[in-house]
Amino acid sequence: MTFWHQALAISRKDIRSYYGKPPLITWGLMFPGVLLLSVYLKDPGTYLQVSPGVLAMTLLFASTSMSAIVITFEKRAGTFQRLLLAPLHLQTIILGKTLSAAAYGLATTLVLTLGLAVLLGLRLTLPGLFALGLILGAVLFALLGLMAAVVVREVFEAMTLMNFFRFPFLFISGVFMPVAHLPAWLQPLAWVSPLTYIVDLLAYGINGRAYFASPWLPLAVSAAFLLLFAWLAAATFRRRVYA
Amino acid sequence: MRAWPSVLRPLAMTSAPIIAVSGLQKSFGTLRALDRVSFAVRGGEIFGYLGPNGAGKTTTINILCGLLPREGGQVSIAGRDIAQDPVWVKQRLGVVPDASNLYPELTCRQNLEYLGELYGLTKAGRRTRSEELLTLFHLADKGATPFAALSRGLKRRLTIAAALMHRPEILFLDEPTTGLDVPSAKALRGLIQRLNRTDGVTVFLTTHNLFEAEELCHTVQIIYQGRTLAAGTAEEIRQKVAGHTVLEIAFDKPVSAAWWQEQPLGGTPVVPANGRWRLELGQQDLHGALKTLLTQAEAAGLRLTHLQASGASLEEAFLALLQAQQPTEGRAT
Repeated sequence: MTFWHQALAISRKDIRSYYGKPPLITWGLMFPGVLLLSVYLKDPGTYLQVSPGVLAMTLLFASTSMSAIVITFEKRAGTFQRLLLAPLHLQTIILGKTLSAAAYGLATTLVLTLGLAVLLGLRLTLPGLFALGLILGAVLFALLGLMAAVVVREVFEAMTLMNFFRFPFLFISGVFMPVAHLPAWLQPLAWVSPLTYIVDLLAYGINGRAYFASPWLPLAVSAAFLLLFAWLAAATFRRRVYA
Repeated sequence: MRAWPSVLRPLAMTSAPIIAVSGLQKSFGTLRALDRVSFAVRGGEIFGYLGPNGAGKTTTINILCGLLPREGGQVSIAGRDIAQDPVWVKQRLGVVPDASNLYPELTCRQNLEYLGELYGLTKAGRRTRSEELLTLFHLADKGATPFAALSRGLKRRLTIAAALMHRPEILFLDEPTTGLDVPSAKALRGLIQRLNRTDGVTVFLTTHNLFEAEELCHTVQIIYQGRTLAAGTAEEIRQKVAGHTVLEIAFDKPVSAAWWQEQPLGGTPVVPANGRWRLELGQQDLHGALKTLLTQAEAAGLRLTHLQASGASLEEAFLALLQAQQPTEGRAT
């Protein structure tokens, strides 16, 4: 039992309780699906160029929304207190909540990828790298959502707070426009956005090439972001939850 | 009444404190919520922690359960400090918050089994234990019902059942009967007593209901504005306001309130209570008041059918203690 079993128990409960919530379906699946379809209808030849970005965006919105919704719902209902009263390490709670949110982001993005493959003929050049990018992105963004949710009370507050960084991320991280095409003064901002590196990894997975010359750089930076966010999430939880 | 199966870990009544709190301090901004509060709870007893709204009761529970950090003082639970050993201590605690807060979308059985999993019970152990508790709390037919669909009384019962899932040594109950109807509250009190008597669970109880505290608690502590006003058994606390006597009187014939107003008895105005008349006197007035009463009754052709003189109830002692304090605004809950 202990650490992993308890974390998985938290995740399983969240999956059972929250996967059908309307905001998750809207932000996680419908929004990116409709966006990709509209890009395809406008120009079927270029949708492959934007698909890594839209898939990364799906991952971002689904994972952050899931973790934010779960935490804010449970804080309002008082059920989050149940976790704090149970004999669990703080890291167990964070891992459990992160896993369920990351799993949701992964599942949503995989459904969209499968839809693209079946309907529009998407093929993966480097599937291993694509999977690694998805997993890293899902965990990273779930931790980001967790941090946002723990400092607010209502779901709409969490969504508003997250949109302060989610939408800017979309514009500076190579989702719709390659980073190289950004104005020079904006490019440094792209380097501090974790989405930039996830988009790059997915681009490697789909097209076999991307902005960075080697996939090792986005892999290493994503891993560093993951460690940083895990540390920040633990610090935020400790400060805000037991206050 | 159904027999009470011995499904909880037996714990012998001990004289050693299972909870020892010394000089506990906590502030919220400039508000001093707890000001050097100390107490000890013996293993196997029901300890009542009483006080008006904002006295600091929930703050104390939250600190003892690891939900809030303390700013000063010592806290030992089963020999360890929750700030140092939170996981070890929490494994030994069952907590029933003032609001029933189980997962609304999960069924009663799923709620119990999920919490069992968090407390490290095996799959078989969780199943057995949840069925035991559903039976014990007369919820066996509600096992597949979502928590959100239960009545308030049933929610309360399931919340207490959930707190017992891992067989805790200490049960914290924060206002357990608030909002319940009279039969549900009475049934719950019976359940708390049986948990304590049959299974030796130490109970830390906060309540506004002083009759409840008097009925259930072995020892009580009254706090007000974060400070201890009194501590001891209910009898010891009643004696703190010694000199206070309550008279209950009934005659063979009806008398009016106007008749009572003419009688120079002293004490509080006489009021009807449960078909009798009730007044409160200082104990030094008792002899004179009774003498006057009997003389006046005889003159009016009345015969006493009931006369009862008693000391202050815990509630009256509580109110007397509070009245002796200076009121201050804006306390923690």
